[in-house]
Amino acid sequence: MQTPLATPVPVLRLPRGPDGSNRGFAPDGRRAPPKPEVPEPPESRESWEQQARASLRERYLRSLLAMVGRPVCFTLHEGVQVIAHFGATDLDVANFYVSQLQTPIGIQAEALLRCSDIISYTFKP
Amino acid sequence: MAMRQTPLTCSGHTRPVVDLAFSGITPYGYFLISACKDGKPMLRQGDTGDWIGTFLGHKGAVWGATLNKDATKAATAAADFTAKVWDAVSGDELMTLAHKHIVKTVDFTQDSNYLLTGGQDKLLRIYDLNKPEAEPKEISGHTSGIKKALWCSEDKQILSADDKTVRLWDHATMTEVKSLNFNMSVSSMEYIPEGEILVITYGRSIAFHSAVSLDPIKSFEAPATINSASLHPEKEFVVAGGEDFKLYKYDYNSGEELESYKGHFGPIHCVRFSPDGELYASGSEDGTLRLWQTVVGKTYGLWKCVLPEEDSGELAKPKINFPETAEEELEEIASENSDSIYSSTPEVKA
Repeated sequence: MQTPLATPVPVLRLPRGPDGSNRGFAPDGRRAPPKPEVPEPPESRESWEQQARASLRERYLRSLLAMVGRPVCFTLHEGVQVIAHFGATDLDVANFYVSQLQTPIGIQAEALLRCSDIISYTFKP
Repeated sequence: MAMRQTPLTCSGHTRPVVDLAFSGITPYGYFLISACKDGKPMLRQGDTGDWIGTFLGHKGAVWGATLNKDATKAATAAADFTAKVWDAVSGDELMTLAHKHIVKTVDFTQDSNYLLTGGQDKLLRIYDLNKPEAEPKEISGHTSGIKKALWCSEDKQILSADDKTVRLWDHATMTEVKSLNFNMSVSSMEYIPEGEILVITYGRSIAFHSAVSLDPIKSFEAPATINSASLHPEKEFVVAGGEDFKLYKYDYNSGEELESYKGHFGPIHCVRFSPDGELYASGSEDGTLRLWQTVVGKTYGLWKCVLPEEDSGELAKPKINFPETAEEELEEIASENSDSIYSSTPEVKA
């Protein structure tokens, strides 16, 4: 039962309502499908290389996003393979934070993997 | 410290909210759709109530609304004699399914390939959404307008309710398996797949039946006429709302009334638990949706639990002593003031 003079649960803000000007479903919203890219014909070798780098970078970052919370198999130097749940990476992608790291000496609950030690990783989406 | 429930009011609708439904949990969270007599169903983020978009196209009151499991599609049932299927990401209309009378209820199968509809023409229709040109399969047998129709038993069976009857149908043979008769009008029906439980409300009763046999499990009596009830996913609680504007929370196992909350300014038409059970949403004649916490005081969505020592005092209300005031009166004062507790944020009514 409610107690008199109980403190109301504070709220950060009220739910956002319709803005009245449009029907919503922001085309750039979180769930919007990625727009098909129409690449301009590369004008110079430099811009071609820049685009290639950008798309490789994008693919890499998307792969990081996709494997959050999933079991990932990391291939390290000398053919060492370890399995861990990927958690996050730091801003400059120097370390991977993982949990349940299965190593030959047992399972590490939480660990950081140095990205420079990783040759490749695979996971099932 | 005792905490008092702060419902989050979702504004935007201009007429009574008559139906609501949550999606399953998706990588983008879960979603909430509301059906309203203003003819403009709305999609919101489920945990915060933030408006995402309005489905524009119906030419009459919308009586039923639902989302598929992954919230990529929405379906609505309306008084303009149509049911519509929408892209719930872009808000675009995908299909208009013409009916011969008012449509009251819509439900997707788990795989989103079929849509079940029901309404005033007493027929259940099953549309194959991959064959938009094909005629729907029809099931007849109801003797009055259908209020609610739901897939059950992994989409192998259908549950449908008209005024005073609940029927169970076999999808493959399109025949009636069983039926239940009531001496009062059935106001709502909810199907819980885990445990195959059917929640039916009529009069002041909240009744639980087996969705397989339709045999009664138990029932509770509420102090007022109940329009809708929902069972917590973990089957700990039941929430119900109706004609006295109040939401009641019961212990599902003991049937004990745990709490009752005021907040709405009109009868409550629909109430549903979120898929994670952390909150429940209610829709009312007053034109609002409200979100309520299952566990009052937990930090979740827009609710922020502030411990007394962290409290800057900004949100704290001055403590006044009412030595001679009875407890109920204090409760009255508290709920009348409930709209002023968002004092840290200027109220923006959208």
